[in-house]
Amino acid sequence: MDLLEFEFMRRALVAALLVGLAAPAIGTFLVQRRLALMGDGIGHIALTGVALGFLLGTAPVLTAIVVASLGAVAIELVREHGRASGDVALALLFYGGIAGGVLLIGLSPGGSSATLVSYLFGSLSSVSGADLAVIAALSVAVLGVVVVFGRELFALCLDEEVARVAGLPVRFLNLLVAVSAAVTVTVAMRVVGLLLVSALMVVPVATAQQVTRSFRSTQLLACALGAVASVSGLVLAFYADVAPGAATVVLALGGFLVAALVGTVHRTVTR
Amino acid sequence: MSTVFDLQHASVVLGGTQVLDGVSVRVDEGEFVAVLGANGAGKSTLVRTLVGLNPLASGSLDVFGTPVARFRSWERLGYVPQRLAVGGGVPATVREVAASGRVGRLSRFRRTSSADRHAVEHALEDVGMAQRAGDLVSTLSGGQQQRVLIARALAGEPEVLVLDEPTAGVDADSQDTLAGALGHLSNAGGSVVLVTHELGPLAALIRRAVVLRAGQVVSDGPPPEPEGHHAHPEHVHVHPHADEPGSSRFGL
Repeated sequence: MDLLEFEFMRRALVAALLVGLAAPAIGTFLVQRRLALMGDGIGHIALTGVALGFLLGTAPVLTAIVVASLGAVAIELVREHGRASGDVALALLFYGGIAGGVLLIGLSPGGSSATLVSYLFGSLSSVSGADLAVIAALSVAVLGVVVVFGRELFALCLDEEVARVAGLPVRFLNLLVAVSAAVTVTVAMRVVGLLLVSALMVVPVATAQQVTRSFRSTQLLACALGAVASVSGLVLAFYADVAPGAATVVLALGGFLVAALVGTVHRTVTR
Repeated sequence: MSTVFDLQHASVVLGGTQVLDGVSVRVDEGEFVAVLGANGAGKSTLVRTLVGLNPLASGSLDVFGTPVARFRSWERLGYVPQRLAVGGGVPATVREVAASGRVGRLSRFRRTSSADRHAVEHALEDVGMAQRAGDLVSTLSGGQQQRVLIARALAGEPEVLVLDEPTAGVDADSQDTLAGALGHLSNAGGSVVLVTHELGPLAALIRRAVVLRAGQVVSDGPPPEPEGHHAHPEHVHVHPHADEPGSSRFGL
């Protein structure tokens, strides 16, 4: 297989695999809470973080993680205090994130909106060895959060008030989900790009639940589907010379269509 | 006999509106209390306040003898909120939903034990849903979903169960099953506080009714006389045995 001859492709494949596993794992909880678009909101804020990195002359990934995490925590606090409904809070982030990003990149030396394009649509082939180490560590951290706190997060996402009465650390868990989602978005931005990040968190979950009955099996299948989509998307991109993020998302959506069809036929037959 | 809830002169303000106005209610261990009143009288607010979901504007609340701000043994309480359906955008089985009520008792780094699984199965049997444990919860009827929500609270093996309108929109079969499950808990020495519009099959269990009107307690004592078929003698047999000491399920 000649694509493995390239060092950058080997790194990109590992990154795609890890992100493909981690994004649906945390995305399942967002879908459970009917916050499927939260990943998009965080992605838009991360763009401001990327631009801030260029402005300050530091690594854009680091500033993106910090700004996206702060934004996610802000969404969570707004939601908790009920000052704005969830969708309005998300809308504010969408606009603020994009505007902030374009504004800051214009202020940074030699920067233009074109600089942001590789972050908007992903640039897997430019993943360096150091980038891969960061992506690997953060992906594993997100998966670790899901494994260790999974039961509590499920109870929380099912019914926050019942979780509160049961004595679970509700605020901590809410912030944990928010920050994990922000980290996932920032890590995945190299793979699929900020505009398509949320697809990797949501589409595999939507696909899995066409054929599953339990939360656990939905989450596991979604992770498997996410990994398959992102790795095969990268391979497809390599041979067809197209953008990896777009190829990944198109494949994931194709999987959804097939699963929806199979699920519908199955339900019709067994009825 | 120890006190479960001791609410004194409590006022609760929600969104700028005073919903509870100087309410004092004490619930002792083993009691079975109904909170009655018209819509908007503050029934839900009262039970939500008891389980710590509403902050007090004034007054005090002790839970099991501890001021609510310092109370930590929340696993001793079970709460069944008023819900139209078991929510969520991802499929979940009946067993998964019920087991989530056990999480407050679990240690973060330990796998579920057979005692945990047994408690979940027992809770599902108690509400007659054990046969449906592997089914998607969203495919159940409203009454069955309500039974699953009660199983979730029972799975934590609480000493006191607080329910907000558990019988609203629930079919007769499910109401009877629910009354049976609450009867078991009460017989085993557990306490029950529930909000309800109509007493229905629960009438025989209820020993005390707190009636609210416009955020104030207007009566607190024996429930209104049963009417119609609820006055039938056979209902007498499901009275709770208050003198029975706590069974192993509640023997903490």
